[in-house]
Amino acid sequence: MIPFLLRRLGITVVLLFVISLISFFIVTLAPGSPYPWGDLNPKIDEKVKEAYRKKFHLDRPLIEQYGFIMGDLFTGKLRSMKDERPVLERIGERLPATLMLNGASLAFALSFGLLWGVFSARRAGSWTDGTSTFLAFLCLSMPEFLLAYAVVILCVHQFAVPILGLRSYGIEFPNALSAGLDMTWHILVPAIVLAIGSAAAQSRFVRANVLETLREDYIRTARAKGLAEDVVFLKHALRNSVRPLITGIGGLLPALLGGAVVVESIFAYPGLGRLGYDAVTERDYPTLVAINFIIATLVLLGNLISDVLYAVVDPRVRLE
Amino acid sequence: MNANPLIEAEAVSPEAAFATPGQRVWRRFVRNRLNVAASGVVVALAVISLVFGIASMAKIPFPSDPNATSLESKLRPPSAAHWMGTDQLGRDVFSRVLHGSYISLTVGFVAVGVALGIGTVVGAISGYCGKWVDQVLMRAVDALMCFPTFFLILTAVALLGPSLWNIVIVIGLVSWTGTARLVRAEFLTLREMEYVRAARALGQRAPAIVFRHILPNAAAPIFVTAVLGIPGAILTEAGLSFLGLGVQPPQATWGSIISDAKTYILDAWWLIAFPGAAILIATLAFFLVGDGLRQSISTQTERK
Amino acid sequence: MVWMRALLYGVPAALLLFLVAAFLNATRVTATKANEMANGSTVEPSNLNPILSADSAASEVQSVIFNGLLKYDQNLEITGDLAKSWSMRQTTTFFAPTPADALAVAAKLESLRDRWAAWSLQSVRTDGLAILLDLTLPGLDTSREIFETLQTDNLDKLHIVRVGVKSSARESLDLFLQTAPSAPFIVRRWIDTSSAFELTVQGDPAPLVSDLKTYYASQPSLEATVETGEMLDFLAEPEVTFLLQPNVRWHDGEPFTSRDAAFTFRSLIDETVGSPRKSDFELVSKVETPDDLTFRVTYRKPFSPALGSWMIPLIPAHILEGKPAAWWAEHFNRSPIGTGPFKFDEWRVNEYVRVVRNPGFFRGSPWLESIVFRVLPDQLALRLAFETRQVDFWSADPWAVGTVQKDPRFTVFSYPSASYSYVGWNLRRPLFQDQRVRQALAQAVNVPGMIKYILYGNGVQSTGPFTPQLWFFNPNVEPFPYDPVAAGKLLDEAGWVRGPDGIRVRDGKRFSFTLITSSASETRRDIATLVQDNLRAIGVEVVVETYEWVVFVTKFVSKGNFDACVLGWTVPPDYDLFQVWHSSQSNPDQLNMVAYNNPKVDQWLSQIRQEFRREEIIRIAGEIQSTIYADQPYLFLYVPQATAVMWNEAYRICRPGPDGTWIDEPVEITKAGWSYWSDYFYRPEHPPAVLATGKVIRREARTP
Repeated sequence: MIPFLLRRLGITVVLLFVISLISFFIVTLAPGSPYPWGDLNPKIDEKVKEAYRKKFHLDRPLIEQYGFIMGDLFTGKLRSMKDERPVLERIGERLPATLMLNGASLAFALSFGLLWGVFSARRAGSWTDGTSTFLAFLCLSMPEFLLAYAVVILCVHQFAVPILGLRSYGIEFPNALSAGLDMTWHILVPAIVLAIGSAAAQSRFVRANVLETLREDYIRTARAKGLAEDVVFLKHALRNSVRPLITGIGGLLPALLGGAVVVESIFAYPGLGRLGYDAVTERDYPTLVAINFIIATLVLLGNLISDVLYAVVDPRVRLE
Repeated sequence: MNANPLIEAEAVSPEAAFATPGQRVWRRFVRNRLNVAASGVVVALAVISLVFGIASMAKIPFPSDPNATSLESKLRPPSAAHWMGTDQLGRDVFSRVLHGSYISLTVGFVAVGVALGIGTVVGAISGYCGKWVDQVLMRAVDALMCFPTFFLILTAVALLGPSLWNIVIVIGLVSWTGTARLVRAEFLTLREMEYVRAARALGQRAPAIVFRHILPNAAAPIFVTAVLGIPGAILTEAGLSFLGLGVQPPQATWGSIISDAKTYILDAWWLIAFPGAAILIATLAFFLVGDGLRQSISTQTERK
Repeated sequence: MVWMRALLYGVPAALLLFLVAAFLNATRVTATKANEMANGSTVEPSNLNPILSADSAASEVQSVIFNGLLKYDQNLEITGDLAKSWSMRQTTTFFAPTPADALAVAAKLESLRDRWAAWSLQSVRTDGLAILLDLTLPGLDTSREIFETLQTDNLDKLHIVRVGVKSSARESLDLFLQTAPSAPFIVRRWIDTSSAFELTVQGDPAPLVSDLKTYYASQPSLEATVETGEMLDFLAEPEVTFLLQPNVRWHDGEPFTSRDAAFTFRSLIDETVGSPRKSDFELVSKVETPDDLTFRVTYRKPFSPALGSWMIPLIPAHILEGKPAAWWAEHFNRSPIGTGPFKFDEWRVNEYVRVVRNPGFFRGSPWLESIVFRVLPDQLALRLAFETRQVDFWSADPWAVGTVQKDPRFTVFSYPSASYSYVGWNLRRPLFQDQRVRQALAQAVNVPGMIKYILYGNGVQSTGPFTPQLWFFNPNVEPFPYDPVAAGKLLDEAGWVRGPDGIRVRDGKRFSFTLITSSASETRRDIATLVQDNLRAIGVEVVVETYEWVVFVTKFVSKGNFDACVLGWTVPPDYDLFQVWHSSQSNPDQLNMVAYNNPKVDQWLSQIRQEFRREEIIRIAGEIQSTIYADQPYLFLYVPQATAVMWNEAYRICRPGPDGTWIDEPVEITKAGWSYWSDYFYRPEHPPAVLATGKVIRREARTP
């Protein structure tokens, strides 16, 4: 195991740098420049632009710029081109909100997906299953922005409750619990919108796994032994079909910070997805490189964890 | 009352037991009414998009010119004259939805085609050759999955120009990784099959083995992945158009109709509802057909 | 086993419980409305340092945190802010070859004393070779008139000599000037930047130039350049003196003095600071602070936009002086200290900026306790936030105007916006070089239709680069009518005749071009589509392409790399349009993107910058406007009407009236906008104490 881990870690590190290099080149090749005052403003002097370029090494060859940015990233000195604040600080202040949103979304997706999948699997072949399948695919086919708009408009026009942002304004809450619940409301609604597609996908996944497990011989044996269906199901089938879910946890790592750009935009939620999207439109290279790097790290790490968990959980698998 | 599909499937007529695998899949497929309905929708969509695609390219204004602006009748709700209402420039939404179907569906097919092509090739090489070739290719696949798709597409569209074909190719280029993984897995399994081993022992060259033995057996899951990938591509194109990066006016896709209309969402619900329903129906239909196929095929391979 | 079932059903149930609880809280809880104003914007400020930021979101916040020396009053005229009053005068200097000649000229001027009043001339004195005239009105015309009246050969011309040298070698020029024999004839030395000097020389500059060249030839490593510039007849140096408000304090308690004004100026022109407003202050030759409450600025030559430039908010010297830009970024730019009615409190990135009341504000403490500036991603979000009272004001889009006007819950303010939309023709392309063609295109596009259907009637047709609410707008310019027949005839005249496929042809070339616009604005795309449609009807083929905003600007527009583009300008109340229309401003990344070149307009543009007389400014601006409109370098489309919406009675104004009374009135529109009195806004739930004292004049809304 250990030599395998070391080798994989080594490859991962090399890959990380290759990825960040390539993504850096892609971003800088895109036309546009990161001046914070917009490109068509009459009052900006050419010399001021020059000074700005010098400050961010924009006048050096691309490979040198990359070197500067990576160096700054690891020493923690990397500053955003938009407002000159440390990039890690900008990412850090969005982190709690993002984690809460994605965490809640994952919680909803996994728990409801599991329940739904199990429900479907137990009634496989009946028309309940058919309806359930249809519903699942309906959720998967729903474009995110449609659902998000529908929910927002519903809240505003039907219930007249504030829904945008992270909290309600211009209101003095009677106590801390009320204020806390207010923030919970603002987090849960976009989380659910995000979770619907994932829950549907999870339910299909779980259903397929459970059905496959139910075909195994030991299930036949258990039934033949006369065990109640319930027990057979929960004690044997469910346990074993959750195994792929566990190994899939590695893939959840990047999802915790992932870009829910559309939903965050529509709900005006201050998360990392919007930060990334804004960084693209503003050509804020340091922020982009930093975010890319972090996400790439998480994806590769997630893959590694998945592979390791897979080996741990299933002794038949041999890691080369 | 036993819901075990395995036991159910055994009660089959003698003639059917001798049917070819293809026929068995077909029978299983049509047994489920949902599958049939969904396939019907898919066929209908294909016909519609073909018909209106030709009409669009030949600039035939059927049922009415989708590009004719008429400022006097802008933002009218659905009525007898305009079944789906008019948009902010007075254009008939019904006509635009029909003419837009061709582009939306073409994007789905071609993008998946591109992804399929690349993915199959990469997965096949990786799965068949194994060892370091496999390692390198899979790491490359990992690497590609780390790229944030959004600004890859943004950059590509900015550099290459916002044409339909550029968008399609870019979507294909960023979505082949799933297919590659699947193909690789299939190849890894099939490579160890007796008949492949036998072919190798007999001295058959690799390309022959791949094309004559492995690929035909892997074809089914690959096809299913393709069908299941089409809705994803359609949704991606809709998302891109929604963000303003899709095809140019006056051409319309369902996504761009919605994107143009998002500012009027509170005042003109029909602009969003109808194209949105179109996307939903098309995507749903493909998903159901794909899933139906997958179920039919997997039950079939189970019995091998 | 049980725990498995518990987990399976329990977790989803718990999550649902959370949701229900949160929903009930959101709908049922009774909360009091805070004494706070909420503004919404789709753009977040980049930073809150007024000399560094250039976006509209930043200036909104800065307008309540800072003050400038001057500001606009409710009629868009200049009035004092931190300056109690100001006065302008000018020193015009003639140069004579000998002191005797100088005295002779002065004597001649004395003999013309009866004309001094007409010339606004107050006194004349000599100083060696110079004759100094003290004028009470700045400008070039009177000085020129005096110069010509003197009609004497006894006056020397002045020449400009420019020396460019590496910034590290600045002292080389000083060294030279200490010893050079031709040096005494240098009457002014101006440092343009850290590396270019402008020397004003009396008489023949040749000896100085050759001496300089010899000097620098011996030091080739300095890479110096020496060249002769223009010739002047005299020096005209205007001067503004501001008298400052006493008893003004910064938010940290320190007193505001002229030192802060001087420091703001020095920071503005400092290259290491990198202020985007630097170019407004480049003509300042020196600033003086004779005492704490007096601030004097001297200019190198008459520059009439100068007064307007002093509306820039002032920054505190006692905090920022001597600190490098990195320190500013860390400690000031995101937590500023100003003199304004509100103090900075908190900035949550991508959520809001909050400011709180400054009780020590020199015009009196505001009634509101705090203001929050929320950041929302798009127009729809703003509207939804407005409907749930999460922001108090919303600018309605044109199609929504009808709906909000009919809604009895809202108060609507309608006013002409300070912007206009246009289609820019790239005059470098041969297709657009014939004025008849451009005028034909102007009449082929249904602009009144655009206003009626895209703006729902909320706008007027634009007749040039100025908007109607400005005091120098020329109302006599007639807009082109929508007349496709006349357009067709004009095109026929210009040699463009209909070809076999309906598209016009001339010399084998089809009349076809690409119209580009940005994906950011649906309205601009609608305009592009309409133009395409209208022009197709008269036989012109238009291909429309949309690009993302940054790509659109940097790759195509700024580089002059387009046929035609759909764009708009935001127009400040400023008649100085040099950078947009002068022929010298059409290089890449400059603002004359269409390469407009009209020598008469060039001349007027330079002239208006040096004109201080109101009637003259109006006259010249009028000529500029009518000439540019006739030339049609742009297809001027429309000036939109802006509509601001507020919940009824969300705010009222309580401001000081005559004789110590207070006026309590509803929020209404002024020429400077509906938010002009925002310092005095109050919420009816939290009325100011003064309203109970009795000396109140209460007004109600005028019924429309």
